[in-house]
Amino acid sequence: MTKRKFLGEFEQVVLLAVIRMAGDGYGMAIRREIEERTGRGVSIGAIYATLERLEAKGYVGSRSGSPSPERGGRARRHFAISAEGRTALQRSRDMLGSMWDGVDLEQPDSEGQEVA
Amino acid sequence: MTDPVRPAAPPYVSRAILSLAARCTDHDALVGDLDEEFHSHQVPARGPFRARLWYRRQVFTSLIPLTRLWFAPKSARPRSRENPMRSFLQDVRFSLRGMRRNPGLAVVIVVSLALGIGANTTLYSVVDGLILNPFPFPDDETLVTVGTEYPKLGSGLTFIEHMSPAEFIDIRDQTASLESVVAWDMGNRQVSWGDLTDNLSTGFWWGNAFETLRVTPFMGRGMTMEETIAGDAVAVISHRVWQSRFGENEEIIGQTIGINGNPFTIIGVMPPGGELLGLDLWYPMGVSPDVFPRQRRMLQVLARVADGSDRAAVNAELEVLARRTELAYSEMEEYQGWRLQADTWTDANVRLIRPAGYILLGAVTFVLLLVCSNVASLLLARSTVRKREMSVRTALGAERGRLVRQLLTESVSLAVVSGAIGVALAFVATNAVADILAGVPFLSGTVEVNGRVLAFAVTASVAAGVLFGILPAVQDSSGDVQDTLKSEGLSTTGSAGRLRLQRVLVSVEVALALVLLVGGGLLINSFSRLTSVDTGFEPEGVLSMRLTLPWEEYDGPAIGAFFQTLEEQVAAIPGVEAVGRGAQFPPISFLFNRVATEGLQVTEEGQLPTAMTTLASPGYFDALGIPLRQGRGFSDTDVEGSPLVTVINEAAADFLFPEGDAIGSRMRVGADADDEWFEVVGIVGNTVNNGLDQPTFAEVFANHRQVPGWFNQMMLLVRTSVEPYSVLPAVREVVRSIDPDQPLYRIQTVDEAIAATVAPRRIAANVLTIFAAFALILAAVGIFAVVSFSVGARTREIGLRVALGADAGQVRAMVIRQALVPVAVGAVVGLGGALALSRLMEGLLFGVSGTDPVTLIAVTGVFALVALAASYIPARRASTLDPVEALRIE
Repeated sequence: MTKRKFLGEFEQVVLLAVIRMAGDGYGMAIRREIEERTGRGVSIGAIYATLERLEAKGYVGSRSGSPSPERGGRARRHFAISAEGRTALQRSRDMLGSMWDGVDLEQPDSEGQEVA
Repeated sequence: MTDPVRPAAPPYVSRAILSLAARCTDHDALVGDLDEEFHSHQVPARGPFRARLWYRRQVFTSLIPLTRLWFAPKSARPRSRENPMRSFLQDVRFSLRGMRRNPGLAVVIVVSLALGIGANTTLYSVVDGLILNPFPFPDDETLVTVGTEYPKLGSGLTFIEHMSPAEFIDIRDQTASLESVVAWDMGNRQVSWGDLTDNLSTGFWWGNAFETLRVTPFMGRGMTMEETIAGDAVAVISHRVWQSRFGENEEIIGQTIGINGNPFTIIGVMPPGGELLGLDLWYPMGVSPDVFPRQRRMLQVLARVADGSDRAAVNAELEVLARRTELAYSEMEEYQGWRLQADTWTDANVRLIRPAGYILLGAVTFVLLLVCSNVASLLLARSTVRKREMSVRTALGAERGRLVRQLLTESVSLAVVSGAIGVALAFVATNAVADILAGVPFLSGTVEVNGRVLAFAVTASVAAGVLFGILPAVQDSSGDVQDTLKSEGLSTTGSAGRLRLQRVLVSVEVALALVLLVGGGLLINSFSRLTSVDTGFEPEGVLSMRLTLPWEEYDGPAIGAFFQTLEEQVAAIPGVEAVGRGAQFPPISFLFNRVATEGLQVTEEGQLPTAMTTLASPGYFDALGIPLRQGRGFSDTDVEGSPLVTVINEAAADFLFPEGDAIGSRMRVGADADDEWFEVVGIVGNTVNNGLDQPTFAEVFANHRQVPGWFNQMMLLVRTSVEPYSVLPAVREVVRSIDPDQPLYRIQTVDEAIAATVAPRRIAANVLTIFAAFALILAAVGIFAVVSFSVGARTREIGLRVALGADAGQVRAMVIRQALVPVAVGAVVGLGGALALSRLMEGLLFGVSGTDPVTLIAVTGVFALVALAASYIPARRASTLDPVEALRIE
């Protein structure tokens, strides 16, 4: 816990999608949710790899669903967020919020010129 | 776009790749998700084609995130579910780790296996290139040539220049099961192109060979049947000549070249590697087949089995044709019992080298088996350690099948690593072997490591891995867990079973090695006998060169004059002792004729007498050192117009004049009533004129000075007192001064010509000897390892014996005696095997039988010595054991 306190951006996106699916989210549905909301194409492999990491850290749990013929008899795997996952998400949001506090992107910075 | 009848399937290659990449995640759920999305959404919405594209793109973009998971820290990896692929990879990783723990053993195993697999792969590439697939022509099982046999002439089945034009036409017109029937005669022609003049191996054709061979010309086209009969001035050149002589000229089609001084238009270039038996130039026969007499036999026939027919049908038709011919030409006695046989072109050409190739392939397989058995023995010696490991795992709940599978994975991984190294070795070795074989005449084909060879190497590697792994795997995973866990060290009952297995392996190794040694011994023995055969002449220091004077420029008298001047001027070159010319010289002869004497029309066996017929000049016998036995040789007074005389060898004298009255008798060369009579004036000694391994054939010589118009192609034979090749420039200069357009070619010493005829046997003997030596070393190592192991396992027992009063000699004797039991068993089995297999080798043997007792005894003796030496070292160690130390060992 000491090394990686904060979630990466994509991890946050995936966790939020898991919450939105209310415990029914499985890989492909999570992927579609992200694509529809963010307009950003995501590969199914990236979703699974991230979920795998999140599960190893205890942020999500999973259960097997029912197999169906169009899946070739393979079961879905449904993901739900855990209490630790909610805490981590909250922490990341708080951290970002404290950084955003008082920042106005519209207002030009007084010394912004000299960065070049 | 959507096909309602057959639902679209996800792209399976992509899915397989995904399965591999997804080994660290829930692979089933992932693939299920993709398939579900594919069937439920993508196909209905976008059609199967774009749905598959989508699937592939998903797989492709998933590869990086999924493979990065492999390297994630352990905590990030979920518990793996049992998945064959995954457990296989686990096994591989496990075995690699195991090898790192014991690098010495791994290196020994990998090196010996790599050598074994490398040798097998190399030999297989030779067999594949020369015997299985020597020709680049497609559908080679339907490409056939027709061979003949004349029982009445006592000749065997031959496929070489044996068919007359009339017989070719009969086959073409009367055999419905054959199509694209073509025929050619082989010779050579002087080709000039700009300033270049060269002598090219040439085929004179009837018909379009491209059509029969089913190859497309590299450029241009082939000749039509009409062109080949009409003798249009058109020619086809080989790809290699196009490269080397014509500088890859893209504009070559339509250009004019000189062939024997006449202009010909190049109409085609053969595809690369498509030379038929090394022919570099094809051109029309130029006459109709019906102008030749029926017995003028000089053609080879090539054809395709017609669609819907097969070789059996072809041969049935050919048999009918042969009987019909026999009836129709009853006056031609040689047709009695005439046999025609179609064989595939490949079979007809490889029949001579196939036995040698298969024997060597069998031998190298034996070597690999030996390596496997040796490696198995090594792994068994390591068993103690492994067995405890396996017992612990069994105690923790591992199934036996899973353990065996893991151990086998381990051995197969080792074998595959070795196989990869072996293939690398084979690439090098194959190139070297190809270079050696390039110097052997009469071989067609390309020796290289190709796809088939690689497939063989992979199969051999995996098979080797299973083979050497299975015994240790079963042994290690068996037995009582509690016993093994309770016991310590080597002094356990478990090692007894292991030792028994190792002894069996020693027997197997000894048997394999003995078979190889016997084979190698027999081949060396026969090769040394073959090369020490009395040739009947003096081949040392004789240079031979061929000259072919074009009929277009030289008639009979001109040919005689040319060669006469040549011989006289060459004789004056310093270092030249004797000069002669002949149409052929021992050990290879290709000119045969029917002959007749006044008394002998048919032999006692009912055959029509035939003899080698050799045109020779008076100097021929001195140049070759063939001794005169009776009468006289040819003299300078025998000239055109003087009474025809002949010299015959002793075999011909015995055969044709059994009464011993040869000198002064008359004989005909040829069987027709209008053939002229020759008077026998001399008898010369027999030579190995039919090859070193065949009895001398009756040979009849005619004096080329008397009949120069009979033949335009002669070998100039120069006996020198200096290094033979050193006179070559001077000889060339003489030829140039007489006619600058006539090249000398096929230049070799007579010694080299003899060596070339025995090259396949020499190579076979050398290679088998190397294998046998390798086998001997492997077997010795195997014996040594097992005896060492058994001494180690019995340290306490031996210590006890010494403590109780056994002396060093007794201990040594006991250890060696026990070591030699499995050796003796193996030797008996091996000798039995060698005797059983010797029949296969008989075609390669000369002067020794496959059961030659001298070879068998010598080989067994050598083997016994090696086995003694291999067991003596550990036995000595046992005899010097300190009993106190030995008994303390736990």
